[in-house]
Amino acid sequence: MAVIQAPPRVEPEPAPRRLVGWLTTTDHKKIGILYLVNSFSFFAIAGVFALLMRTELARPGIQVFAPHAYNQIFTLHGTLMIFLVIFPLLAGFGNYFVPLQIGALDMAFPRINALSFWLLPVGGLTILSGFLAKGGAAAAAWTGYPPLSEQLGTGQDLWIAGLILVGTASILGGVNFIVTIIRMRAPGMTMMRMPVFVWSILATSLLVILAAPVLTAGLIMLFADRRLGTAFFDPTQGGVPLLWQHVFWFFGHPEVYMLILGAWGVVSEVIPVFSGKPIFSYRGVVLSFLMITALSFTVWAHHMFATGAVELPFFSVTTELISIPTGVLFFIWLATLWKGKLRLEPPMLFALGFIAMFLIGGIDGVWAASPAMDFAIHDTYWVVAHLHYVLFGGTIFGVMSAMYYWFPKMTGRMLSRRLGIWQFWLQLVGFNLTFFPMHILGLRGMPRRIADYAPDRGWSFLNLVASTGAFVIGTAMIIFFVNIFLTLRKPRTAPDDPWGGSTLEWATSSPPPPHNFDSLPPIRSNRPVHDLREAERGENT
Amino acid sequence: MKPGRPAVRALAARLVPAASAALLSSCAKQGISPEAQDVHRLYVTIMIIAAPVFVAVEGILLWCVFRYRKRDDEPASQTVGGARSLGVFFVIPAIIISVLFPFGEATLMRIEQRAVPQVQIKVEGFQWEWTFLYLNEGIFVSGKTLVRPAEMVLPVDEPVQIQLTSRDVVHSFFIPDLLFKRDAIPGRTSTFTFTPTVLGTYQSQCAEFCGLWHSKMTFDVRVVSPLDYQAWIKEQRVAAKSVTCEPQGTTLSMIAHNISWNHYCLAVPANTPFTVNVTNQDVGIQHNFSIYDSFFEKKNYFKSPRITGPASETLNVSGLPPGHYYFQCDVHGPAMSGAFIVK
Amino acid sequence: MSAVTASQQRERREMSGPILGMVLFVASEAMFFAAFFGAYFTIRANADVWPPKGIPHLKIDVASILTVILVSSSVVLQMAIRAIRRGDPKRAMTWLGATVALGVTFLGLQLYDYSQLGFGVKDGTFGTLFYVMTGLHMAHVFGGVIFLSLVLWQGIAGLLSRTRYEPLEAGAIYWHFVDVVWICLFSVFYLLTPR
Repeated sequence: MAVIQAPPRVEPEPAPRRLVGWLTTTDHKKIGILYLVNSFSFFAIAGVFALLMRTELARPGIQVFAPHAYNQIFTLHGTLMIFLVIFPLLAGFGNYFVPLQIGALDMAFPRINALSFWLLPVGGLTILSGFLAKGGAAAAAWTGYPPLSEQLGTGQDLWIAGLILVGTASILGGVNFIVTIIRMRAPGMTMMRMPVFVWSILATSLLVILAAPVLTAGLIMLFADRRLGTAFFDPTQGGVPLLWQHVFWFFGHPEVYMLILGAWGVVSEVIPVFSGKPIFSYRGVVLSFLMITALSFTVWAHHMFATGAVELPFFSVTTELISIPTGVLFFIWLATLWKGKLRLEPPMLFALGFIAMFLIGGIDGVWAASPAMDFAIHDTYWVVAHLHYVLFGGTIFGVMSAMYYWFPKMTGRMLSRRLGIWQFWLQLVGFNLTFFPMHILGLRGMPRRIADYAPDRGWSFLNLVASTGAFVIGTAMIIFFVNIFLTLRKPRTAPDDPWGGSTLEWATSSPPPPHNFDSLPPIRSNRPVHDLREAERGENT
Repeated sequence: MKPGRPAVRALAARLVPAASAALLSSCAKQGISPEAQDVHRLYVTIMIIAAPVFVAVEGILLWCVFRYRKRDDEPASQTVGGARSLGVFFVIPAIIISVLFPFGEATLMRIEQRAVPQVQIKVEGFQWEWTFLYLNEGIFVSGKTLVRPAEMVLPVDEPVQIQLTSRDVVHSFFIPDLLFKRDAIPGRTSTFTFTPTVLGTYQSQCAEFCGLWHSKMTFDVRVVSPLDYQAWIKEQRVAAKSVTCEPQGTTLSMIAHNISWNHYCLAVPANTPFTVNVTNQDVGIQHNFSIYDSFFEKKNYFKSPRITGPASETLNVSGLPPGHYYFQCDVHGPAMSGAFIVK
Repeated sequence: MSAVTASQQRERREMSGPILGMVLFVASEAMFFAAFFGAYFTIRANADVWPPKGIPHLKIDVASILTVILVSSSVVLQMAIRAIRRGDPKRAMTWLGATVALGVTFLGLQLYDYSQLGFGVKDGTFGTLFYVMTGLHMAHVFGGVIFLSLVLWQGIAGLLSRTRYEPLEAGAIYWHFVDVVWICLFSVFYLLTPR
């Protein structure tokens, strides 16, 4: 049983030991920051890959890359963004804020927590080191379909090894989160008083521990086929190439929800705070999260409609069913805004941007969910547009909201509001300029993952627009990094609760002491800090 | 009310549907077969259901941003929803889905209907080209990677059956104007039919990432009149038969370069053993050398092991009775084949 | 005696962190093996004949002994837990030692069995599935032997008692899981493969 009592304040470590302190830390807050630093570093790398791709595609013809280089770049863009950027970003916020939000001292297993972080950069660098291997890095797309992925060189083995490391890290992390949330809550913090962000991490962790091992199994089969001469996916020996697709997407679709649930959690925290209202239906949010968690295991083969080898109506109906709890979330967000007192600070701007953009990613998925229509748009740029409206328009907007919202808590410094607003508008405009035209490119038959296209296909203008937009996004990201750099040089002036928050992380200092809390407010609802503020206001008047 | 309003409204009432209809349908391809036109209608149907949802949500969002901005220090009312509003939230998307789903299923059932095929084509994908074997006509066409795309010629208004497979990795047979694609998976044959009804040439390509030259794995579909189709078939048959050559001894020298052979016709004396020197110049790519009765591969006379380039090998083949045979590389099929004449 | 029951009830109501962690980890491992069983049935459903031609068919004798060894090791491990709950760590460590010994025997005997089979991992889909699945299971048995040996070492050092035996309990959850996986493997490869 974790009982929160205030241990004596620990003095900060002396400066020379600081670096060693960061490398050997088991403090969930430091590990959370390590996650963010690591993820944003890979974000910069994978973002540059994206710009390189858009440069190549800006005009028909081969200008920058030979196709083999292009194939490596887009493979690693996808792999890194999914496994080393988006998921670890959410895991990083989870690491920092789940223990704070439930009033715990730390994660349940601090040393395992450190291990699951350190496996990430090792895994990421293993994948990247493929560039040094003979034959280059992995080049079979982030989905790594065999037999193609069985043809390629050592880079593909490094890709497999790196993903197994990252997968193991996320399983250990998932177990840690669940045990922390179940076992470490402060007195009074019942499950139905937990902040919705904690619920989103709980749902994510359930998905991780049940889906990630399936990917690991698939990767072991792929490796065995490549290096031990087994026949899992080899049709000439009785193996089944489609088996990989089933295994991969059985993991891969829950994976999509691992990549978005945390962002839903963030937005469901930020919108009430900046609307001056409680979330419209706490139970509705929790119920939606759990329904989506369960349903996400039943939809995998909608990625395989075009194989002609899956049960179309079943997977179509389960896919469309997921839009019901997702729709409920939209209603709850809008109802929370309704008649609120909206403060358009950067966290709120990004949260509103999230709703506006993720909506498009939700709606354009409806076309793809209908098998007859999917035959036309599967594996075209329509899908590229759809997935970026979900993962960039959704998750990255949510992550930016979280950065502006929680940065003062993590560092004691407020990010610049002015730069934040600039970043928001550039990001919004650049994002739509890049990805909206891709819908039309997809409808006009442009397949994804091509290094080049002929000038007579009618795709040139929209590709140029998309490439221009990509550089606008790049500018927005430079502003973001500049904002962080400049802010970190300023003195710590942020108050404990700059936004008028409701959850427990705002009841401690900014940044929090190593033991998190000197004292906890009483927890009688899902908004203990809001309750405390109201009680104080009542006393004062 | 201002006097100009009704006129504006009337104009808007005409313009808005027309403009949105144009917007809705112009982006997507119209389709060159009844099945494809069905899919196009499904696209528009979903748009008609989805567009109001989009407008409503974005509209409410903008309304909230402008109407409910914080202007004073009065606290907002702390309203939360109960079970009833939550129920409504669940019911609305459920209704939308239950309207939408049957449309999709109806279209799916129509496009999966099988007409009796007049033309049967076995389509083989391989890195990075297509081969089309016209099963009833006994001819095949193939392209040449990076040089010219394969061309599939089809008679207009006749149901076509495609039997699709792959020789190596997963490909996808994608004709954008047909609003249809199907994955070509090694070890598996997928069959589907369609009926092109609009004359023209339609650029198409592989849609499943398949390695180095994925972006160049294009093909053309040319829909022609029945007369033109018959003429084309005849022309292909004549061209295939006119290939001939004379024996030049018992040593053949074969060079595989850029996924093609240096000869498209070989000849050897009858009943005499001969040697074939195979040189594979394609780095990292496998080739072999096999002799069959025809491209239907009913009877195999010789099959060499696969040779990964760059490498050379000398093959000894026992003598064959006189006749017209066929040789190919089994990795790439008819795209790397030719006539084998024994005299 | 009543005090023991009370503490046991508390244990049951509130699973401790490490035990809950082990249960979740085992759930994850179950999905890992489930993926391989999924692969097995997918490949089997796609095959014309099963087992494929040219595979000498598996003899059930050694495998049955293996099954008996592993199942009895689970029972013996449960005896160890019973002993420690009764406050007899010494006896518990004897039972635990026996479990480890049975685990090692299993590993040795399975390696012997491998050498007798007459087909290899490269011999088509059957060889693939058989060796990869039983091999991964063996790796898990090996991991379990290491884990239980560490617990044994803790116990001999006097670190386990009636009130503190979480490592033993966690090890037991894992070991029983590995046992269940073996029973599934045995059923699929020996009992459900047509002769």
